[in-house]
Amino acid sequence: MTWLAITGSAVVTYLIRAFAFRVAMPAALPGRVARYLDALPAAIIAALAGPAVLVPGGTVTRGPELAAALVVVAVVAWRRNLLAGVLAGVAVVALLRLVLAA
Amino acid sequence: MLLSVVVVGIPFGIVARQSGLLPAEIVAMSVFVFAGASQFAMVQLFKDGVAWPLVVATVFLINLRHLLMAAALRPHFARASVARRLAAAYVLTDEAFAMAIGWFRRGRTELAYYATFAVALYILWNVATVIGMVLGPSIGEPRRFGVDFAITATFIAIVVLGVRRRSDAVVALAAALLASVLAYAGASVVAVVTAGAFAPLLVVFARDEAAA
Repeated sequence: MTWLAITGSAVVTYLIRAFAFRVAMPAALPGRVARYLDALPAAIIAALAGPAVLVPGGTVTRGPELAAALVVVAVVAWRRNLLAGVLAGVAVVALLRLVLAA
Repeated sequence: MLLSVVVVGIPFGIVARQSGLLPAEIVAMSVFVFAGASQFAMVQLFKDGVAWPLVVATVFLINLRHLLMAAALRPHFARASVARRLAAAYVLTDEAFAMAIGWFRRGRTELAYYATFAVALYILWNVATVIGMVLGPSIGEPRRFGVDFAITATFIAIVVLGVRRRSDAVVALAAALLASVLAYAGASVVAVVTAGAFAPLLVVFARDEAAA
């Protein structure tokens, strides 16, 4: 099942990349299609992150995840550095969970 | 740019290993899929126990953007052989595209630049994956140290780094909220892909003010 997913993902990813290199596409895609494709990846990634922040484990967050998410946004917007943001987020979530559990 | 691949690749190896994936599976993802955001998404979906067709569909949607990039690069490969074009396609990433399009816009034509850079990215991504994968088990109990949040934080960071105009942020927030509401209602993972695919319609039908 994992292998099917990996194989399938590899195939669709390569077909997308190879298709436009081989087949002539209209010089410019219609504006709306281009804008949709441009916005799509960030939207899907945000949709993957959203539930883990707001409803982790299926129940509404008690705060650590949301606070950490805001810290990640702030740090990354400020430093333009992915790793700094991730480390800050992990630290905040670990600290707040510790405090709330006590 | 080369360093950023290492900085993302090592966490990928770590979270993938911590999620319980086998080393061979993790390496196969970096060798054959070779797409950063998609690979993080795959780890998340595997953790959620999602059926494989949905994993493939999600990866498809995330990587659909490469259609635009390949189409933009294609004229510069007009005289390259089919084999070379197909090889160039295999190592196409956001980073390789950004470097190559800058190069061609400066009036240069050598394809070796793209080839060298893209292959270097490929090698570094795989080396970083293995380093993270080896480090993974030594990091300790994931929930206690917040490591389970690392993958979520990575998603957030990827989205924030990609925001160029206000509409990008609006779409991302809409997608995150919609997915959360659906997840809370019990629609779990199908909801994620659905919300992600619908949110961009906000900009598609918005006025063209931000099209610059």
